[in-house]
Amino acid sequence: MTQTINPRHAILMAIGIAILIGLPMVVKSSFAIDIFVRILLFAFIGTAWNLMGGYAKQLSLGHAAYFGLGAYTSTLLEINYNVSPWLGMVAGGVVAALASLPIGWLCFRLRGPYFTIATIATAQALMLIFLKFRDFAWGAEGTTIPNLGAAPLMMQFENKDSYYYVVLGLLLISLLITWLIERSWIGNYLVAIGEDEDAAEAIGVNAPKMKRDIYMISAFLTALAGTFYTQYIYFIDPATAFSFNISIEAALVAIVGGIGTLWGPLIGTVLLETTSTLLQSWLGSSIGGIQLTVYSLILMAVILWRPTGLMGMIGEFRQRYAGRAPARA
Amino acid sequence: MFETVAQAVINGLLIGGIYALVSIGVTLIFGVVKIVNFAQGEFVMIGMYISFFLANQYGIDPLLSLFVTMPVLFVMGVLIQHFLIRRVLGPNDMPQIFLTFALSLLLLNLALMLFSANYRTVHTSYSDEAFHVGGLYIPEAKLIAFVVAMALSGLLWLFLHTTDLGKAMRAASQNRDVAMLMGINPNRVFCVALGIALALAGAAGSLLMPFYSAYPFVGQVFVLMAFVAVVLGTLGNVMGALIASLMMGIAESLGIQYVGADSGQIVVFAMLLLTLAFKPTGLGGGRAR
Repeated sequence: MTQTINPRHAILMAIGIAILIGLPMVVKSSFAIDIFVRILLFAFIGTAWNLMGGYAKQLSLGHAAYFGLGAYTSTLLEINYNVSPWLGMVAGGVVAALASLPIGWLCFRLRGPYFTIATIATAQALMLIFLKFRDFAWGAEGTTIPNLGAAPLMMQFENKDSYYYVVLGLLLISLLITWLIERSWIGNYLVAIGEDEDAAEAIGVNAPKMKRDIYMISAFLTALAGTFYTQYIYFIDPATAFSFNISIEAALVAIVGGIGTLWGPLIGTVLLETTSTLLQSWLGSSIGGIQLTVYSLILMAVILWRPTGLMGMIGEFRQRYAGRAPARA
Repeated sequence: MFETVAQAVINGLLIGGIYALVSIGVTLIFGVVKIVNFAQGEFVMIGMYISFFLANQYGIDPLLSLFVTMPVLFVMGVLIQHFLIRRVLGPNDMPQIFLTFALSLLLLNLALMLFSANYRTVHTSYSDEAFHVGGLYIPEAKLIAFVVAMALSGLLWLFLHTTDLGKAMRAASQNRDVAMLMGINPNRVFCVALGIALALAGAAGSLLMPFYSAYPFVGQVFVLMAFVAVVLGTLGNVMGALIASLMMGIAESLGIQYVGADSGQIVVFAMLLLTLAFKPTGLGGGRAR
């Protein structure tokens, strides 16, 4: 693991970021921008999930809990106290990170598949709480976010491009965090826990503390996505904010793209969201369930034939055709 | 007062029998194959749809369709073990979790595409009948479902304790490596475990049909309950799962009675959280994984 930055990678990165920044200036269709926003948003959530699910292999299917907490915190602050969602977003992240402590304390008592089930149950339990307490957070009907027109300070914009840049910024932050963690001792410890938790503890890794900390970071980032999404669609209700589909897609994009890799969630989201958009334009959205049917087939194919995901395939491809590609740790 | 409590307990106990069929399947697969089948609820759903179509097209009573759903799902279980699960058995959790999870998503959404989200019901001659015992109300369809569920559980117990194959499965569940050294063919044992577990889920579907609606998401209701019951009853412990399921049914029913009609699930989650907080190894003793 080198500590210096490969100049070729830096140039590629700069080009990639330039393309992403320039994209809305070239593409004017708001339908296309909407798809880009979705891709960046789920890549962001997937990257947040990947920190814990990918590197430490703590396979959560309950990240909707933090998405929902972020969404509700900022919305409650905005509607009740007129706090800007920019601040609410950070507050939501803090609430989610704090909530991850008791949730993690409970769920980490179980390992493997039963950890996964416990995370599902906590997210569902939170949804039920928000469904039941109507005087506190509008109950099942949810609420619309007051439309203030162009109010950048309240995270409301008239054109979709601005939302695009906000979520692009979020994604870049999460990629930067992942990159920093991956390069540091933290990344090594997380991977060690993911490979074999008992062995990692035997060599002196404080596994419970590492898992707790990475869960907090992951929860914090996921909550930011919740705030953004609510501001983007101007609506919040428990079924959307704590939707099981969010938990599923967070894990799905990371696994399909390449679990425990920096770029995996982004690549996975591009593939899955593009597939889903093409399907919808060919078949129309009239057939319920088609999107998840296709997603689950892709997921099964990846697990059975390419457990390393698209990143693994890209790696094999480079080794075979680019030839002599230096092996990098 | 006493009668209300007794009534709630009876309602819970009766539905708990169905939960037991689902949880025994989950815990059996976990014990023997060491994987969690996230798709277990979807097999209940498939059982319900088979019973529904048999009743709708050919007028076959849902209870008789038990003799169709159980063999069909047994074969499905063997095929799923042989062609899918066998390929991901290894030290790594990720493929195992997400393979059965993907299977669950696939079956659920296929059902949504093929049958739409509509609720399907079958009305039988005994659907509305009930016994009245000392002021208590015992619906006939639920009582039949409970009795059959308990009979199937008893048959499974006999199978596990008296036949060679059953003993081999228990051996594999207690210590897989030693069992393999004793000459037990793992894939065969795993195929039978999956087959039995899915057949039980299918049976649950048929038994539910006279008093419950079939819809694509129906399995989710039962699988969540089963997961909690399996943790509560100690992972891999068949008897623990059975008793925990009955307890869960009663707890849910009391929750509905005393907290509110939509609080059944909250009670279930509360039980899961309490179990995790105070007794993560479950009530059956032994070690948590």
